[in-house]
Amino acid sequence: MTKFRENNHLVGYLFTAPFIIGFLIFTMFPMLASLYYSFTDYNLFEAPNWVGFDNYKTMFTGDDQYWKSVSVTFTYVVASVPLRLAFALAVAMLLNKAIGGIGLYRSAYYLPSLIGGSVAVSIMWTQVFGDKGLLNSFLNLFGAHATTSWIGSPGTAIWTLVALSVWQFGSSMLIFLAGLKSIPASLHEAANVDGAGAVRRFFKITLPILSPIILFNLIMQTISAFMTFTPAYVISRGEGGPLDSTLLYSLYLYKRAFQFTQMGYASAMAWVMLLTVGIIALILFQTSKYWVHYESKGES
Amino acid sequence: MKKLTTTLVAASLMIGLAACGSGNNDNNAGNAAASGSAGSSASATAKSDDKPVTVRVAWWGGQSRHDYTLKVIDMYEKLHPNVTIEPEYAAFDDYWKKLAPQAAANQLPDVIQMDISYLNQYAGRNQLADLTPYTESGKLDVSAVAETTLAGGKIDGKLYAMNAGSNALTMMVDPAMLKSLGIEEPAADKGWTWDEFAALGDKAKAQGKLLFSDLRHDVFFPFYLRGQGKLMYAADGTKLGYDDDKLFIDYYNKYQQWYDKGYTMSLDKLSQSKGTPEEDLVALGTALSSNQWSNQFIGISAAAKRDLDLLPVPGWDTNKALFLKPSMYFTVANSSKVKDAAIDFINYFINDVEANKVILGERGVPVSSKVQEAIRPNLTPEQTKVFDYVAWAEKNSSEMNPPNPVGAVEVDALLKAEVEKILYKQITVEKGAAEFREKANAILAKNK
Repeated sequence: MTKFRENNHLVGYLFTAPFIIGFLIFTMFPMLASLYYSFTDYNLFEAPNWVGFDNYKTMFTGDDQYWKSVSVTFTYVVASVPLRLAFALAVAMLLNKAIGGIGLYRSAYYLPSLIGGSVAVSIMWTQVFGDKGLLNSFLNLFGAHATTSWIGSPGTAIWTLVALSVWQFGSSMLIFLAGLKSIPASLHEAANVDGAGAVRRFFKITLPILSPIILFNLIMQTISAFMTFTPAYVISRGEGGPLDSTLLYSLYLYKRAFQFTQMGYASAMAWVMLLTVGIIALILFQTSKYWVHYESKGES
Repeated sequence: MKKLTTTLVAASLMIGLAACGSGNNDNNAGNAAASGSAGSSASATAKSDDKPVTVRVAWWGGQSRHDYTLKVIDMYEKLHPNVTIEPEYAAFDDYWKKLAPQAAANQLPDVIQMDISYLNQYAGRNQLADLTPYTESGKLDVSAVAETTLAGGKIDGKLYAMNAGSNALTMMVDPAMLKSLGIEEPAADKGWTWDEFAALGDKAKAQGKLLFSDLRHDVFFPFYLRGQGKLMYAADGTKLGYDDDKLFIDYYNKYQQWYDKGYTMSLDKLSQSKGTPEEDLVALGTALSSNQWSNQFIGISAAAKRDLDLLPVPGWDTNKALFLKPSMYFTVANSSKVKDAAIDFINYFINDVEANKVILGERGVPVSSKVQEAIRPNLTPEQTKVFDYVAWAEKNSSEMNPPNPVGAVEVDALLKAEVEKILYKQITVEKGAAEFREKANAILAKNK
């Protein structure tokens, strides 16, 4: 009994057991299973056959649509993440001012992010960018006679998704806002006394102090951008069209898995995605030492 | 253990990727669990006077179909107090995305509404029960059903799927609109040829009307091939049914001409149309015709609130392309533990006159000639038009193709993608024809 009570480890394990068991059953095990399936021709209906690296080989050498989906995804990530962060920071700085009713403004600007990833918003987006949508009606006020559907044209469809993503800037904005609050007002006052203008103060004080937060937001937003699924699914009605121009990686994976019931191939795609996102996150971390400024540097 | 693995993988993929339609999924997970236990406790020979039986019945459709199907289920349950039916329904796209994981988890519903494009995928992979023993024993009464009508549900001589109603391709037109454009409508049983019909394009365009919104590629390209004496898929399903690209080139050259002249809906608008009857261009009065399966007529004329007519869909030279198609099927899962009860429900749906007075041909013209005659007095004028058209088509068509092979869903998606590239002028028709044939043959070669 005493031994049991002195065994701190056991109590610790007991308390963490619910998480560990859940993790093993619902995360670890399915992941390993999907790794196994990625080397098979599993089709949901029949027992899987081992095919070695065939899925990966087809993916990299024999599937135009795969590369199309990769390029669409990179376009989307590279365009939407910086825009979204810049927008979030700009709004955060506006909302950092001490004016009346600021709480109301902050809630209002955060609202799109609360409902952002939902199907309803994506459907609303099709109304905004459709051929008889809000945007065209607005343009027509100025006599533009716009009748094309922005969502239905291969050249513009992906940019409506980027716009949707930028519009959902709220969560990064809140984190930026918290960061801005932590910048001591004395720093700005001192710089002001020394004659530094607003632009100079932004680049010399605000940005460096905010850089760890920018890094955090950048990595989180990049990862979530790679996994974007719902808007593309809803807007292109599950097809990734027109001309595969909104065929995001996760949408193509989903099509392979559930439309063509090629679970093996889809699993292989999922693993390539995991590795790619991992590598990109690692690269971002590596570059951070050149631009992220930690106040506690050298102390720890 | 394998079941558990597959369920978990499917579930984790679903959760990771899409949290869509969760309300329905939750329901069905509950249903699946409930019926699993009920199913195992029910004996294999469930009859109306037996122990309680739970039968899961799944279908896709729109709201009106859900409403009357639930009503029919109620009627059936009143006649068979020991039977509880658990309905599972969804829209077409979601339906298949839900069914596939259920198949993997060995939890398919007992009665599954089936579409021709998926029939081989499920039957060929041993998911569906052979219904032949039940037709022989009379439990599934097909005495009033023509052999050709049944044939569409057979694979290798085994009846895997029961035709739920017959359809034929048709051209829906608005006679008043044609008249106002000065276009003379052909006799109801004659129709146009495609060339005659396309010649009306400029006249229609001058009045701001289209010929049609589009012709579904997975329906009309095979239809064209039939007219040329070819099939979309080879009999063994390991390649396309034609090797000569000229067929593809001829058809899509014509199609591209129509598209370029503005006779059809532009692709950017088409990609956003949901295909509901309310959005149908004939119903809206902006196109001369809507070329669809005959059971769509009810919904479209209801949306139009005007008198519409059914014409034969234009043929090429003759109408040997036309065929009667099962609008959909009923199938029974091989894994079902209550097959007898499932069959009994299908039998009720197909043969019971009172039930069909509620169904009224919404799933296609009833396959039983007895039922057809019995419910005729109950039909609305629109429904009568559909029944008449299908009766005409039955005499002016040839036998339908065997069900599409495994991989056909992917080939259909490929065809649509290639045609989009052609219409957007990214590739020539010739290049598209060759690309389609090569890629489709590669997909189908996996069936060898």
